[in-house]
Amino acid sequence: MNKVTLKFKSRMENESFARITACAFLSPLNPTIEEMMEIKTIVSEAVTNAILHGYDSNPNKLVKLEIGYDDNGCVTMIISDSGNGIEDIRQAMEPLYTSKAELERSGMGMTIMQTFSDSFDVISRLKEGTSVVVQKQLQKSK
Amino acid sequence: MRVEKKKDVLTFYLNEDVDDYQISLIKEECIRLIDSVHPAKVILDFTDVSFVDSTGIGFVLARYKQCASNQCELVLRGLNQHHRVIFAMSGLFHLIKEEACL
Ligand SMILES: Nc1ncnc2c1ncn2[C@@H]1O[C@H](COP(=O)(O)OP(=O)(O)OP(=O)(O)O)[C@@H](O)[C@H]1O
Ligand SMILES: [Mg+2]
Repeated sequence: MNKVTLKFKSRMENESFARITACAFLSPLNPTIEEMMEIKTIVSEAVTNAILHGYDSNPNKLVKLEIGYDDNGCVTMIISDSGNGIEDIRQAMEPLYTSKAELERSGMGMTIMQTFSDSFDVISRLKEGTSVVVQKQLQKSK
Repeated sequence: MRVEKKKDVLTFYLNEDVDDYQISLIKEECIRLIDSVHPAKVILDFTDVSFVDSTGIGFVLARYKQCASNQCELVLRGLNQHHRVIFAMSGLFHLIKEEACL
């Protein structure tokens, strides 16, 4: 019913821009403060992963963020990179699994996204890229 | 980030956003100060933090390990409910204590 697509360079300082933009776009739905925090966190995790893992922190690639919502307040977000891809998605989703422990990562990003969303899917192909697809139903507001 | 040194306690007052970009700006200073000051206790103060993601978990756990290898205690202070939800998912409260605000 409403939709926006954002493409931005894979520079880490753009991550806060992405999560704030997502919230601004969803503000007509009057999300609760908690829903807002959860959506910001999901965007932050997905964009950080795209830059850090998808592109190995190369700042000259593109990250895409698509957000839409329907009349019932169901929000869909798709965050994509065309980077490295994930070899073993099941392993990547395990809590505390990280391939970049030397960068002080905790391996909790996927778990956090899953916890904060109603449906969470990762679509990935090696050397082609990764998309995470998130759906979240917002509480009915009057 | 404001840093305070009182007796043998080193306190880091973290800024608004604890995300990858902001942590990349302060991490080296934290590491250096903990190693050079040799505090008995390090406090990470989250009072002013309005956003935290998994980067915060990684940062806290890494400072915990750094402190442990320096025989120093690490505690968290000023957490709100959202910080706790994020941190609890990783199980870090089994290792790290939360200190009541002053
Ligand atoms: N967009 C991506 N492209 C390639 N690999 C990815 C991508 N997203 C996640 N991964 C892989 O999945 C692993 C787990 O991701 P997750 O976000 O859970 O943890 P992390 O990013 O390593 O650490 P944290 O999110 O806690 O800082 C990553 O270490 C990486 O190997
Ligand atoms: Mg991550």
